[in-house]
Amino acid sequence: MSNEFNIKNIAKLASINLSEQEQDSLSNDLSIILEHVNALSDLKLNSQQQEIFIHPLEKELELQEDEVVESLTHDEAISNAPESKDGKFVVPPSME
Amino acid sequence: MSLKPTIGIETHIELNTNTKMFCRCAVVDTDEPNISLCPTCIGLPGALPVPNKKAIEFITLLALSTGCEITSKGMFHRKNYFYPDLPKNYQISQFDLPVGLNGELEIVIGEDRDFIQIERVHMEEDTGKSSHSGSGRIESATSTALDFNRSGVPLVEIVTKPVISSSKQAVAYIEELRQLSIDLNISEGRLEKGNLRFDANISVAPEDSTELGTKVEIKNMNSLRSLERAIDYEIQRQTKALEDGVEIVQETRHWDENKEVTSTMRSKEGSADYRYFSDPDLPNMFLSDEFIKEVETLMPLLPKAQREELMTTGLSLSQSNILSKSDDWIKKLYVEVFDQTKDSIASYNWITGELQGQMRKANIEVLPEWFNDDYLSEIIELIKSNKISFTSAKIILTEILTTETTPSKVAEQKNLFQENDSEKISEMINQIIKENQDIVDRIKSGEDKLVGFLVGQLMKQSNGSVNPGMAKELLLKELEG
Repeated sequence: MSNEFNIKNIAKLASINLSEQEQDSLSNDLSIILEHVNALSDLKLNSQQQEIFIHPLEKELELQEDEVVESLTHDEAISNAPESKDGKFVVPPSME
Repeated sequence: MSLKPTIGIETHIELNTNTKMFCRCAVVDTDEPNISLCPTCIGLPGALPVPNKKAIEFITLLALSTGCEITSKGMFHRKNYFYPDLPKNYQISQFDLPVGLNGELEIVIGEDRDFIQIERVHMEEDTGKSSHSGSGRIESATSTALDFNRSGVPLVEIVTKPVISSSKQAVAYIEELRQLSIDLNISEGRLEKGNLRFDANISVAPEDSTELGTKVEIKNMNSLRSLERAIDYEIQRQTKALEDGVEIVQETRHWDENKEVTSTMRSKEGSADYRYFSDPDLPNMFLSDEFIKEVETLMPLLPKAQREELMTTGLSLSQSNILSKSDDWIKKLYVEVFDQTKDSIASYNWITGELQGQMRKANIEVLPEWFNDDYLSEIIELIKSNKISFTSAKIILTEILTTETTPSKVAEQKNLFQENDSEKISEMINQIIKENQDIVDRIKSGEDKLVGFLVGQLMKQSNGSVNPGMAKELLLKELEG
């Protein structure tokens, strides 16, 4: 895992504005976190331990029935949108 | 340098559940935007996903029907990406522990069958639909509008191993998968509605190479026709590049339906770009033996087994394949007509040929209530016993498709029963010979082709009621005598 990242790019992707000072301090914090994570690769694991079946919850997954439950109305759903048009959420242009 | 293409296909099947994958919003089929939403499917903070039991049943059914090993200890992962069609900024999907692994699907091309190996079958959620406004071209859009009705609809992804070698195989594979999902009753299987969507990974490498070439992913193929053309185009493009010494770039390309070319969309993300991690909102998923057994009881007769059953009636593999991919009423009608007539070829030809042809011509989508297997069986029997001609049979079929009557009644009313009495036919022949002495002379001097003209005259004078085979035979006898 590489410790290099572009804090400006991450801020842009996360849609947050960071001052120069914030950028510096967050870069520092992120580097420390990445270093910690990198330490994992030093672990000596047997094949069973390597089986990727860990989960923060020990609970077993519950499923729900395929029955419709009414939720938000159209107006409620769209009420917090900064911009909407013809019943749709409008966001800055994005393309795949 | 001889080159060979290798293709892998990723297919997304939209399941026909009542509700979405992780919430209980209705799955809706409407143009009215944003009417079936809740905090979970629009990614509001604090909302918790709970999987749809029916969807898990459906994917297990699909995985079992393709012979996959079922992952009894599975889990959901977050596939992270920044794109507004999923406002959570991740899609709930499965990564290394998908529901099904290592299956296969039989496909049929003509009279040959082949097996396409399936790598994985996993569960995920669909995205919302984006539309771009502005000057019309996506690149210069001024804003993106979003409809989240589709966001969270259960989606099964089926990934083949890179084992497909031609566009024809790819099309046969999608046709088979589509029919399978219809027969399993897990999807409407309608391509035009996007119920089934597919991407192809294509690479080209030297024939004797053990390694695959650089993989290019093709998107935006909306029909079987575009799948076939896009693959053919891409194989040609890559082949030419390699022959010219140009390196193939790993990328995603977009199929342009109008220009019939593929063009670069973006460089391809690797799975690391998606930063998969187990979704902390969703505990591990255990599929018990009991659950799997329960799902097995829902298994219908699969297309492969249907073909085998149809072949025992005397149909070829390709005919059985066509029937296995037909609507249920056609399959049922075939079995019923065959049961009565024991003539597989006539039953098949009348149902897939004349009956469907006439229905299409007359814009009849559903058989009229009175129409049943007895009618077609009767028509086939009447032809076989020489009581009506093939031409008359078509007329009868047209009539019974629009009027509540029976084939025999129509034949009687329209005077379509054939004259099989050789004495009566001979009388008519003698009359024709008298009236066409010049033609007879020409036939005798070697113009054999004119026999057909006399048969035609005979059919005309008898209003088509004469058995043409018998008529020709008697006419020749008469001319020789």
